Amino acid sequence: MIKSVLIFLLIYSTSIEQMQGLGYLEETVLLLIMMMDEEAYGFSVSQAYEEHMGKSISISAIHAVMSRLEKKGLIESFMGGATAERGGRRKRIFQATAAGKAVIAEIKASRQKLWNLIPDLR
Amino acid sequence: MKPHPTPPKWADRFLIWFCSEELLEEIQGDLHEAFLYRYHKHGRTTANRLFIADVFRFFKPYAFEKYSRAKQFLPMYNNYFKIAIRNILHRKSFTGINLLGLTIGVSAVMLIGLYLHHELTYDRDTPAADRIYRLMNNYRAQTYSSMYFADYNDSAPEVQLRLLDYLRGQDAVEAAAHFVPSQSAIGGGGQFYVAFDNRRFVAENALFTNSGASFQEIFPQEFIMGTPEEAFYGFNKIILTESLAERWFGGNWSDQALIGKALTIEDEVFALAGVVADVPGNRHYDFDFIIHQKSIPSWGAYTYLKLNPGVDPARMIGQLNADVDKIYPGYTEDELSKGITAVALPDIHFTEGTLYELKPVARPAYLTTFALVALVILLIIWTNYTNLSVAMYADRQKEMGMRKVLGARPRDISFQLLTEAVLLALLCLPFCWMIIYTLLPHFNELMALELSTGLSYQPLTLLAMLGLLLITGLFSGLYPALAYGRRPSLRLFGKPAGKPVAGRFFNFRNVLLTGQFMMVVGLLSITWYIYQQMEYVRTKDLGYQREGIIYFNIDGAEKYTKLKTALERLPEIRSVGANGVPGSEMYNQLTYKMQDTEVTLSDGTDQYMDYGSLKTLGIRCEACQALEAGKERVFVINRTAAEKLARIKGVSPEELVGETLITEPEWENEEFGFGVPHVIDGIIDDFKYFSLKYPNQSHLLTVSAEPGWAYEMLVRAETDQWSATISKIAAAYETVESVRPFDFNFLEDRLEQLYTDERRSGILMGSLSLVAIILALMGLAGIVSYIAYGRQKEIGIRKVLGASAGSILWTFNREFTLLMAVATVIALPLSMLLAAKWLEGFAFRIVPQFWVVLLSGTGALILVMLLVSIQARKAALKQPVEVLRSE
Repeated sequence: MIKSVLIFLLIYSTSIEQMQGLGYLEETVLLLIMMMDEEAYGFSVSQAYEEHMGKSISISAIHAVMSRLEKKGLIESFMGGATAERGGRRKRIFQATAAGKAVIAEIKASRQKLWNLIPDLR
Repeated sequence: MKPHPTPPKWADRFLIWFCSEELLEEIQGDLHEAFLYRYHKHGRTTANRLFIADVFRFFKPYAFEKYSRAKQFLPMYNNYFKIAIRNILHRKSFTGINLLGLTIGVSAVMLIGLYLHHELTYDRDTPAADRIYRLMNNYRAQTYSSMYFADYNDSAPEVQLRLLDYLRGQDAVEAAAHFVPSQSAIGGGGQFYVAFDNRRFVAENALFTNSGASFQEIFPQEFIMGTPEEAFYGFNKIILTESLAERWFGGNWSDQALIGKALTIEDEVFALAGVVADVPGNRHYDFDFIIHQKSIPSWGAYTYLKLNPGVDPARMIGQLNADVDKIYPGYTEDELSKGITAVALPDIHFTEGTLYELKPVARPAYLTTFALVALVILLIIWTNYTNLSVAMYADRQKEMGMRKVLGARPRDISFQLLTEAVLLALLCLPFCWMIIYTLLPHFNELMALELSTGLSYQPLTLLAMLGLLLITGLFSGLYPALAYGRRPSLRLFGKPAGKPVAGRFFNFRNVLLTGQFMMVVGLLSITWYIYQQMEYVRTKDLGYQREGIIYFNIDGAEKYTKLKTALERLPEIRSVGANGVPGSEMYNQLTYKMQDTEVTLSDGTDQYMDYGSLKTLGIRCEACQALEAGKERVFVINRTAAEKLARIKGVSPEELVGETLITEPEWENEEFGFGVPHVIDGIIDDFKYFSLKYPNQSHLLTVSAEPGWAYEMLVRAETDQWSATISKIAAAYETVESVRPFDFNFLEDRLEQLYTDERRSGILMGSLSLVAIILALMGLAGIVSYIAYGRQKEIGIRKVLGASAGSILWTFNREFTLLMAVATVIALPLSMLLAAKWLEGFAFRIVPQFWVVLLSGTGALILVMLLVSIQARKAALKQPVEVLRSE
């Protein structure tokens, strides 16, 4: 019950501060989805993750992360085209929502602020 | 185009099976795409392996979610629980009745379950129990549960071991052992005076064995102190149970150096050789301490053998019977010996009719009855819940209709209702546990059991309780769940509350109620029959007097005569006698025949008592008056024996007087040739020396003027102050006897003890019927209050139109009266049949009367009417304006 209240709050408040509870994996996947632009679905994201992060990840983990992100309202989805490799099954294509993009921007900004404060790198 | 390679079919199907429809397409698509990619990159094996791994990685709640993404904010299961809890809290009377009913019912069933478990596991946890057998000797018409030694009481230690030596010499036998518990029929009973460290203790329940190592091999005892190897090495060893060690040496016995301690038992010295755990209640033997000595102080012993695996016991016993003359010289020539048989260890507790059995055996009929009663109680609980929820859901129909309109499927409704039932049932768990924990000691006392309250802590018991509650919850919720799940929403909206589910008289609810009433009437009647039989047994004319008589042991005729003289000086003592105390278990029988006929009968019970005993018991015997005229002894037979003998001889029983009867005609002796001749001096009326469970026996009674020997005494007194009289008797006793303490009992109590098992089952049956009645009435109360609530407006209108409160109450009662009548009619033959079955255990018994059932039915009906009227009173007395004003 507490969980549903929290989700409710997450969805209906526009305050970005409250959205910052984003895990490392969630952030990465969100970035990948934004990067892939309309080509992001379970398998392709897992491929991209392996390619760019140099680590392998299971498709189910990607699915779980994406469904979490969707619940938080950071990404949205629609059913895309079917291909022969998938045996005629459609893909669920994910896109970042405005909220998602804002969260990423916010994270980047706050990180940058910290980066800028590191003396050695200045 | 070449078809694509496909991933393992079974994994694919598994995915389809568990994955929710909404998610399946994308997940399956992704996995297939990945499979193809890996197939080309790494080959089939790797791709298959990874595909299977991926499928299993999806096997988690995330993928099961059966509702669409749009509904994700409405966690359905949470909602079920929330609604269930709200309903449980909101409908307090419904919840209260159900909780109370479930708790009482399930606790009762659990207690019965514990009892049945105890009875059914007798000796079963002895290792390799199915390979252990007890030898039994068949002699005359009886089966002895013990074997005798070749020279009976005179057997030398080597002779006592002759049977064991033979058995141990067989390839088929792994081990063979003798033992005799002192409290058994062949053990001599009595108390032991144990002395050590200048202290004296009284002990009972010894177990004598001359083959300790084999005993330990067949019946492994858990040694807490000492080792079995040393304890049973050599003789004159004593091994205590834990509780006896605690009694003798205090709570810190385990810290003391007890091994090797010298204990004196009646002038003989024994070395304490070990302490073992107490014997569990579900063993067919029992002891407080084991005495391992060279010679068993008895004429025989209980004999056990453990066969090697895979040996056919019938062959082994056949071999034993073929060689039996080597052990018992002349066995096969003795026509009274009918061969040796064996009973498997787990069957001992269920084998009826063996002589000198160590513990009362279980009667399967009783166990079945208790299991049935448990089932009846479960049925009543289920029916209660079903009926109550049907009544209650009547005003929740709108809720369910609304759910359906909003898209709930039938199974969603069913699932929700089942959740409520199961949740309610599980709420009972702590209460049930508490009740069992409190009741178990009382239950033990009632049933003479030793079920430990620790049982209620055992995970298995808790698990069983949980399982029982779960099943109860599921069964209870099944009907409402299915019925409301399937009902079309329109009908859910249309029905007014409180009306019967269907218009017919025999609708589902009424059928269940009739069943309940039937079971209640049946249980009541059977309890009544049991009570009647117990009263019958208590008051039945036994052919002798039983009031105002005490009995106790005496050591020899000399002490008896002295004590008799002393007692007869007391004014309140009416008469004193030696031997012949009635109410024992059946003992060995002997053969007898008339001198001039050939037919030998083998069911004679011979008895000896002095004239004093006969007079104390008030047995009428005209022939015995000769004793007063100076005759030394009189031989009489009872009518049962006389009729049997007269039929053989072709004369009337009275004509037997003066003829000669020969006992044990097969026994060749120097004095009389064959057997012992007795001239029949008279015939006495039958008297019930044994339990009324057995028919009249043939008694051959020798009454003597002065007893040649005496081992027990009967004293009849006429007094209002028994305690004063008994202390006078005790004082007189102590003047003649200094070793054995005075230990008396009333004859009436002894006779009642013959029916302990029956009385116990009667009390248990009575308590369970009480539980059943309370449960049924509680269920009814709930139903009536809901009906009354639902019919408020109808009642209001009736009152406006001039109906009286009485006539309104009658409209409620009418239906239940009819149901009760139907139930009584069905219960009538059933309960009479069951009672007759139970009564078969008695040779002397009541005839089940049909009016008992009718009266039980009427009694139950009065209770029901009372309850219905109380419940409906509020509705009937309410001002019509209060219920009608809203319209």
